[in-house]
Amino acid sequence: MSEVSISVKGINISYERKRVLSNIYLDIEKGHIYGLIGPNGAGKSTLFKTILGLIEPNSGSVMVLGDEMKKVRKKVAYVPQKDEIDWDFPATVYDIVQMGRYPHKKVLQRLDQNDHAITQEALEKVGMQDFAKRQIGALSGGQQQRVFIARALCQQADIFLLDEPFVGVDITTENKIIDILKELTKDEKTVMIVHHDLATADDYFDKVILLNQRLITYGDTKEVFTQENIAKTYASQLNILHQVGLREGRQ
Amino acid sequence: MLELFDILSEEWAIRALIASSLVGILCGVLGCFLVLRNMSLIGDALSHAILPGVFVPFMIIGYSKAGFFIGTLTAAIISAVAITWIQNNVKTKNDAAIGIVFTLMFAIGVTGISYLNNAQGVHLDLKDFLFGSTLGISNEDIVITSIVTFYALASVIIFYRYLFITTFQATIAATMGISVQFVHYFLMLLVSLAIVASLQTVGIILVVAMLITPASTALLLSNNLKSVLVISGVIGLLSAVIGLIGAIVLNTPPGPAMCITATLFYAFSVVFSPTKGIVVKFRNRRHQKALIQREDILKLMYKSETSISKDTIANRLQYNLSILSSRLAELIQSGDISKSINGYVITAKGRDLGQKLVRAHRLWEKYLVDEMGLKDDQIHEDAENLEHILDHEMIDTLDEKLGYPDKDPHGAPIPQRLERSRTPLLGLKPKGRALISKEQISEKVESELFELGLSALMPIQLNDIQESTITVDTANGIINIDVDLARKISVDKA
Repeated sequence: MSEVSISVKGINISYERKRVLSNIYLDIEKGHIYGLIGPNGAGKSTLFKTILGLIEPNSGSVMVLGDEMKKVRKKVAYVPQKDEIDWDFPATVYDIVQMGRYPHKKVLQRLDQNDHAITQEALEKVGMQDFAKRQIGALSGGQQQRVFIARALCQQADIFLLDEPFVGVDITTENKIIDILKELTKDEKTVMIVHHDLATADDYFDKVILLNQRLITYGDTKEVFTQENIAKTYASQLNILHQVGLREGRQ
Repeated sequence: MLELFDILSEEWAIRALIASSLVGILCGVLGCFLVLRNMSLIGDALSHAILPGVFVPFMIIGYSKAGFFIGTLTAAIISAVAITWIQNNVKTKNDAAIGIVFTLMFAIGVTGISYLNNAQGVHLDLKDFLFGSTLGISNEDIVITSIVTFYALASVIIFYRYLFITTFQATIAATMGISVQFVHYFLMLLVSLAIVASLQTVGIILVVAMLITPASTALLLSNNLKSVLVISGVIGLLSAVIGLIGAIVLNTPPGPAMCITATLFYAFSVVFSPTKGIVVKFRNRRHQKALIQREDILKLMYKSETSISKDTIANRLQYNLSILSSRLAELIQSGDISKSINGYVITAKGRDLGQKLVRAHRLWEKYLVDEMGLKDDQIHEDAENLEHILDHEMIDTLDEKLGYPDKDPHGAPIPQRLERSRTPLLGLKPKGRALISKEQISEKVESELFELGLSALMPIQLNDIQESTITVDTANGIINIDVDLARKISVDKA
């Protein structure tokens, strides 16, 4: 077993007496790409936010790179769901990608040539260098997501958490993004993705986490991502069996 | 005019001008963040809520500008904290919480000042605080306003990154360890300072106009936050100065005059903003409509394949003759069609475009029937619209997805994909200049260029588009190029 990058230890979370996550233990290993899979309301985003320290668990703790999250913030890049963004905001593609440099700067420190070079490199990596001056709303859904991926790359983090990055994204961009993320794992980076297209999960992830308020199971995709486990995760949601069927058919 | 100049050189007027300018810039800059954070109402609330800060210090230490400053700032901070406390701890809607707090503070202020005036014969004119006054500005006020302006602008510059990221995406800011709550309160403090500084010049009722109107104007004019802040500051400055002069001339309170001026700037940019204005939108829509008409003409000519008369086109497409004449002239200009003896004939360039439109139309119809399960009598309208929107890349994707079909649902043949460059030589207008690109789509194209004597970065001018060849002017003289090759040659802008 390779080195652990995120260690989730017995997390419990409830909102107004409603249980959201229950007794979650996870050891996320470095150099892998994880799919976090489960039905709506399974607590996937909540788990992310807890790892990021945005939500305080009722009990349990999270260790990131062997430390408290507070101390390693700049090593964790987060790409949240896109729905809360004001697309009319006066921000250019470049401005947004450059945000990835902010955690590396002290309050009075200015951004310098080096930051500029890293920003430029991130833009080129996702193929958005020609759009640097474009306002963020004047892009297609796929291009917008590339910008947020570039921001995460620009942060030069060790851990990347992406919440449903493929929603509203064209297939070309989806392939491009997944290639970039897979490449990251070669440099011992850790990638976790909230995902809900079961049909593509085999191709995308070498490890999966099946979650539905409690941890169903997690591990190597080949071993863990079985029809039985998926059925358990989506228990009582019959429509999903249709998707499972599609996936079996493909194999 | 001379008279106005005399007035403006008087000391009180100069003081008023300086104070108004500072306030205009300050409110303009800070207002951008309020507007972007959907907090305009908070600006209005805080301005009304500072009124008790006038009479309470007055009762304790008498008439003192420093007293007013500290009192009003305290009132603003108390209100901001009270609003946030109610929002977080009581089951009252957010905007209702704002309304409850600021109206109470305002009521206390009005009651207090009126009571002081009536009962004890003090001269504190409520109207001056509500709408501003030009006469009441002292040197002390100017010192305070200058310090506040300098402090607030310096803060915006130094903490720009923090203000930007918390305003754009608070979640991301939080994961980077930035305290969103702290930045919020800090901004509230800056806004309170701006409001307190505006008390004398604009007055509390209309200061919100100085906060949100220049900011909204600037947001219509630029897509870059830094320039939005600068533009908003400049418009704030102009509104304050022009408004103040207007108020002096008309002998009216300055606050309303500034508000009206700022709104005039706003109205002007609503209409004339180069990217978001009504005029531009109207023009774009007209261009779009003309484009669709031109494309429909090309499609018709592509299908008819022979020379076609103007009347026939007008009949088939139901265009009136004057519109049709303009469209045809534009098409000749762009080299898509040319005049023939008995009407018009499509050129090789126009045929490419017509082919693309027909291909898009028929593939989309096929897609609607095969993938969306629509009946073949429901699909024409939709394809009529989509054919103008789909680009080459999307059409190719569609073709691939459908498995390269030969015929559309009505049995008409779907034109095959033509191998073409993204920026083809064939796409130039007659007399259009360009450079042969360094990168061509294939080595075959490169060797054919070589044979023709065309090298990379060589400047060329498109001379004429004929039936199956085009002619190009180069330094080596005129060269004829086959249309099939011209479509594959990539060119760059000269």
